[in-house]
Amino acid sequence: MNTNCKECGAGLSVPGDAIVGEIVSCKDCSTEYEVAEIGNGSVLLKPAEQVGEDWGE
Amino acid sequence: MKLSITFDRLRWEEKALSDAAESAGLESSLVDAKGLVFDLAKERPEFGDAVLQRCISHYRSSLLTQALEGAGLNVINASAVAETCSNKLATSIALAKAGIPTPRTLLALTSEGAEEAAEKLGFPLVMKPFTGSWGRMVTVVRDRATLQSLIEFKEELANPQEQHMYYMQEYIRRPPRDVRAIVAGDSIVACVHRVAPRGEWRTNVARGAVSKAFKPDGELKEIILRAAKAVGGGILGVDAMEPDSGYMVHEVNNTVEFKGAQSAVDTDIPAQLIRYVAQTARR
Repeated sequence: MNTNCKECGAGLSVPGDAIVGEIVSCKDCSTEYEVAEIGNGSVLLKPAEQVGEDWGE
Repeated sequence: MKLSITFDRLRWEEKALSDAAESAGLESSLVDAKGLVFDLAKERPEFGDAVLQRCISHYRSSLLTQALEGAGLNVINASAVAETCSNKLATSIALAKAGIPTPRTLLALTSEGAEEAAEKLGFPLVMKPFTGSWGRMVTVVRDRATLQSLIEFKEELANPQEQHMYYMQEYIRRPPRDVRAIVAGDSIVACVHRVAPRGEWRTNVARGAVSKAFKPDGELKEIILRAAKAVGGGILGVDAMEPDSGYMVHEVNNTVEFKGAQSAVDTDIPAQLIRYVAQTARR
C-alpha cells in the first residue's frame, strides 16, 4: 500500500501485512506515522506520538 | 481464555506476544490504549480474563492499569509492581529491604543536598532520573565541576521531581556489560549479557548495546529471582552487574523489552511469557 509523506512528500510504502497501530517511517525525512485505518487496499496514516520523557521499559 | 494486550506504540514485542497468544490457542486482541475512555462505574468484560499491559508511556500505563484493576480485571503487571519499578528510588528501597546487593544510593532533596551526597559517595558517582528509561539522563559524574554543571542544567528542567531532587549512586567498576534477565513469575525465561558499544558506558540496547547469550550461575539466578520477587513479581527485566566484589542488581524493568535478548537466545521468549500469563489468569 502506497501513500505520501505529509512532511516531505516522498513516496511511503506500507507493508501489506501492516496492522492498525503499527509505526511506519518515511525513508527520506524519518517522520514517523501510525497506521490509523486499513481497508480496500488503502491505508490512512496519522502522525505518530513523539517520544515522551516517561517512555521506556 | 481471552487475553487483551494493551499498547500505545505497537513494537515488535507486542506483535510477537500477540502471535504467541494466537499460537497458544488463546483468544487475544491488541488494544490501542490511546483510544480508550473509561467510565469508572462500569465493568469492562470485553477485556477478557487477563490484560497484558505493554504501554510504553509510564504514566499512561500506570493510570490505565489502575482503571483496569478498578474494573476488577487481572492486569500483568499489577499496578503496585509498576509503581515500584517505574520509580528508581522505590526500586532501590525494595531491593535494599529484601537484602539484595544493590549500589549504595543517596536521595538528596535540594542542590545543596546533592553536593553533600557527592561528598559522602565520592567521585566518580552516578546520577539518574527517578523516572525514565533507555539510559536517558543517566550520567557518570567524574568531578565537582561536572556535578555543579549538572545541577545547573537540572534546575532548568520543567519536571519538578527531576528539577530539584537527586538520585545518586556509587559508581560500580564492572566489565563493559551488564546482565539482563527476563523473568516470568519464579522462572528466568532468558538471560543475556548486554555489551556496551565502543565509547559508551551505558549498556542499554536503546543506546546500541549488543545482546549475547549468557548462562547465569546458581548464585546470580537466586539474586535475580529474589529481586523480581522483591518488587512484587510478574513479567520483569532484571538488570544485574558483575563487579569483582560480587553480583549486584541495579534495576528492575516493568514493561520489559526483549527484542535484543531474543536475537541472542533460542528460547521463544514471547511464547514463554504468554504461557506465564495464561497460567496466572487461570489461577
